Amino acid sequence: MINIQDIRETARDMLTKGEVRAVIGYRRGSRGMLAEPTFITSAEQADELVWDPTCFHNLSLYLVHDRKFLAHIRKNAEAPVAIVAKGCDARSIVVLMQEHYFKREDVYIIGVSCEGTGVLDERKLAKHLNGAQASNVAFDGGDFVFTTAEGEKRLPAREVMADRCLECRIPFPREHNIVFGEDKTGRQLEAPFAALTRFEAQGTGARWDFWSHHFDRCIRCFACRSVCPMCYCDECVVDSITFPVTTETTAEDKANRIRWIERSAVRSENITYLMTRAMHLAGRCTDCGECERACPVNVPIRLLNNKMEREAREQFGFEPGASIGGPSLVASFLDRDPGDFIR
Amino acid sequence: MTKKRTGVFVCHCGTNIAATVDVAKVAKEMAGENTVAFTQEYVYMCSEPGQESVVQAIKDNKLDSVVVTCCSPNLHEKTFRDNAERAGINNFTCEIANIREQCSWVHNDKAKGTEKAIKISRSVVRRVNRNQALDAVAVNVTRRAMVIGGGIAGIQAALDIANAGIEVVLVEKQATIGGRMLQLSETFPTLDCSQCVLSPKMVEVKRHPKIKLMTYSDVQEVTGSVGNFRVKVHKRSTFVDPDKCKICDHCTVVCPVVVPNEYELNLTARRAIYIPYAQAIPASFTLDEDACLGLNPVVCGKCKDVCEAGAIDYDMRSQTVVEDVGAIVVATGFDLYDQANMQELGGGKIEDVLDGLQFERLCSASGATQGHVLRPSDHKEPKEVVFIQCVGSRDPAKHCAYCSKICCMYTAKHARLYKKHVPDGRAYVFYIDIRSGGKGYEEFVQRTMEDDDTLYLRGRVSKLYRHNGKVRVLGTDTLTGQNVEIDADMVVLALAMVPSKGTTEIAKVLKIGRDKDGFMAEAHPKLRPVESVTGGIYLAGAAQAPKDIPETVAQAGAAAAKVIALLSQATLNRSPLIAKVRRSHCTGCGMCVEACPFIAIRLEGGKAVVNEALCEGCGSCSATCLRAAIDVKNVTQLQIYEMIEACLAV
Amino acid sequence: MSEQQVYEPRIVAFLCKWCSSAGSDLAGVSRIQYPANATPITVPCTGAISPMYIMSAFNKGADGVLVSGCHIGDCHYIEGNYLARRKMKLIMELLEFIGVEPNRFRMSWVSAAEGAKFAKVVTDFVNDLKPLGPQDKLKKAEHT
Repeated sequence: MINIQDIRETARDMLTKGEVRAVIGYRRGSRGMLAEPTFITSAEQADELVWDPTCFHNLSLYLVHDRKFLAHIRKNAEAPVAIVAKGCDARSIVVLMQEHYFKREDVYIIGVSCEGTGVLDERKLAKHLNGAQASNVAFDGGDFVFTTAEGEKRLPAREVMADRCLECRIPFPREHNIVFGEDKTGRQLEAPFAALTRFEAQGTGARWDFWSHHFDRCIRCFACRSVCPMCYCDECVVDSITFPVTTETTAEDKANRIRWIERSAVRSENITYLMTRAMHLAGRCTDCGECERACPVNVPIRLLNNKMEREAREQFGFEPGASIGGPSLVASFLDRDPGDFIR
Repeated sequence: MTKKRTGVFVCHCGTNIAATVDVAKVAKEMAGENTVAFTQEYVYMCSEPGQESVVQAIKDNKLDSVVVTCCSPNLHEKTFRDNAERAGINNFTCEIANIREQCSWVHNDKAKGTEKAIKISRSVVRRVNRNQALDAVAVNVTRRAMVIGGGIAGIQAALDIANAGIEVVLVEKQATIGGRMLQLSETFPTLDCSQCVLSPKMVEVKRHPKIKLMTYSDVQEVTGSVGNFRVKVHKRSTFVDPDKCKICDHCTVVCPVVVPNEYELNLTARRAIYIPYAQAIPASFTLDEDACLGLNPVVCGKCKDVCEAGAIDYDMRSQTVVEDVGAIVVATGFDLYDQANMQELGGGKIEDVLDGLQFERLCSASGATQGHVLRPSDHKEPKEVVFIQCVGSRDPAKHCAYCSKICCMYTAKHARLYKKHVPDGRAYVFYIDIRSGGKGYEEFVQRTMEDDDTLYLRGRVSKLYRHNGKVRVLGTDTLTGQNVEIDADMVVLALAMVPSKGTTEIAKVLKIGRDKDGFMAEAHPKLRPVESVTGGIYLAGAAQAPKDIPETVAQAGAAAAKVIALLSQATLNRSPLIAKVRRSHCTGCGMCVEACPFIAIRLEGGKAVVNEALCEGCGSCSATCLRAAIDVKNVTQLQIYEMIEACLAV
Repeated sequence: MSEQQVYEPRIVAFLCKWCSSAGSDLAGVSRIQYPANATPITVPCTGAISPMYIMSAFNKGADGVLVSGCHIGDCHYIEGNYLARRKMKLIMELLEFIGVEPNRFRMSWVSAAEGAKFAKVVTDFVNDLKPLGPQDKLKKAEHT
């Protein structure tokens, strides 16, 4: 059981000593019970920090923003940034470090274990509350305790947890500078890739019916891309409007942009966008689930990423974000990689 | 970007293309392309007038790029690029659209063939639209060569190269050079003594100031590319100092270990310390580490005790030597097809059934029987000998599909040698066809049949087995339709030639292709028969295909000429089709660095940087980069994208 | 396309320069006939084939996509085909996952010596594609 005071104390201490220039964490948000990301830069703000089941956000996104901002104002980081990271978030940070996005010493990871639970799925909760609103939620062992107008309501976490947390194999940030909470790796809430396995049991036709429905609905708002820490490219290959013009941009670069897809949000282009995204996240996605949570039209994006994650794991023995010095999925190979599909 | 002015030149190739592709329609369609300023068709574009007309058209129409729709780029890409250069435009703005091998020759429906030819041509026109003028990258050349394999092919190639003043490293796996030819008794069609012809060349190799001879050595690793290879050679220890060894033979007398002598095809035995042949080069004994009791004076040490020259050193260690060379000749030779595969002929388990090489050793004055033809089982002179041709050859269902080419001739030679050694003996030859093309070859076979009274039986042998101390041969004479049964004293099998053991491995090390039969593949069957697909690596001898000695020597000379031509240049032009980073898009993630097979990319200041001297232009980086931030010049992702579009345009 | 016309699948064939393109040249030299449905695009190596090429070909209306390169161990660039094997496996899995018929994407190893094999690979692919009919799942809608 994590005591929030420990996290606050750590943040306060480091900011006081000037060991970090900021702490990226969660604070109480302005909308109901939900937490929101915060960037605190002074010891006095440490008491804002919270840790509860609504801390969904993968804060490593803000490490990416931070680096981009520094690059924009042409400044070097004077001190590291501390960040509160769950298991999946910490793995994202590892992938970013694998890709040299920042160095290990640039980041101080305040690890938080999800222990026996994980984060909340708002939609699941809404069903349980029957229209009532919760103003607060807290971890309590295997339960989540909600504060509602009618008083306290206790629910087993398993009933209202996000699917990805139920399927999570390693609910613990292995890469950390300091960590709070117990390592409950090996807890078995639901089999890994359970939802994926159920989906795949359907035939080709049924799968296409499912996906064509969702591909039709995608509005290409790019929320999934915006919220993903791995989508840190300045220019997205499948959305060339975000063209980076830097001092190094040549006329040739400008002339050689490829319009892999058109901008209109129609099915064929949506498919190409979402599949490209899945390919580009293969071996990099750590299943933080933010893309799916951010999607305004509820495209089950996680399923695509999950599929790639499982193939990487089962075919190539690959775990995303396992170690900073480890290989990347598509730039490496093993002699024993499957080849029986090749004629 | 100003609009390109591309010229499209459609070749009829006589009727090779024109018969199944409507060339006029291809030209007309290409004329409709936005960037095409000129089109022309011609019956033979690669002919002198054809090439001239291209030059003229480039000049007259101020073309800046060229597409020739014709045969495979492997044939005439260079022709037309050189031609473009003659017309004053950059050669890398010229591309070939292959509408012959990949279209007209494989489709006989003219409408469909034409449609495909248009798609292919259009895709290449679109590609050329974005081709950049590039200058070849000049690299210095290492003026040294390596020859792998010390048989007649390797010896000839090494001597020819060395005589041109270029240093050669000759690497041989065995303890002596000489290869298969050194095992032969006499050679067809002149019946001159094989060793008498070969030995002087071997000595010349040894004495040649420009040849560095490395026997008992294996090529382990090859890096680099044409002009600058770096080769790691593993030199196994012989435990005998060749400079001190006086070949006095005292060591073999005392050596207590007896093992089969592989140089005599196991017809005799040798000691753990041995010299392969009296004529071996280097003239030195070799201590077989696997057979020796332990390289330890406590265990045995007899040879070391008896060696007055002090040549034996048990502490000698194998070593790995790195050699930098500019070109490599592969002359790794052949082996005989394994008799064990020939179950119907006893699978190598029937006594007195020999292979051709073993028979050579029986005939050889320096061989197992000092030149007397004696059958192995009882050392008696065989009075009836059956020679069987095409054993394992020309049998696509069960064995090798190809003709081993030399068996007709050497079997005739064997029959003649046999009659010379055993004048009252009788020789039978089972054959399918007699293939005796070659200077003096047909006459040689005829003499064998007529003068030596050899009985040629056209047919296959179905079975061999021991019967009353002889080998019973069951066969058919297809000319008379009779079954034939011969009780032979000895049977000699003309086994198929196969690539020598280790060919697979060495081909992998060298990154050169092999053909469907496992022989080293030449770059083009007619026009580039001594070049491998990889630049700077050449082929000689039976490693490339079955061939006899004169052909081998000729090919070795040709390979040497190629090497000399290559290494006589001060610098080489490397292909400029190498990777280029779009720095504005590179985030420095390092995936390209990880994917590059040539360690040609590094991160510098957070961006990928390509080492132009190491990049081979494979494009692994480009397909791995998530940001399309790295591309191979003139094969960019944008170009491929536009080619895809062209292929699918209705 | 009218109902009466025989459906001819359109295939984009990405061939590596050293093995499969040379293999298809050999098919030509040997005059081995095969259907004209596959338009070849020669690339230096299968390792140079970005998954985007596959996506793009389907997006532009290809009925099938073929990727062909050197056998494992024979890559002219040592390990390009190993990298390709992994990438192509992933894109193949993803295509099947969203409900694209597995027979629409194919990968083969065809060496420079395997002209007959190249012809067979294309022939088989065309035969397998014909019953599937035109690919319209990933195809960009035609502008009208």
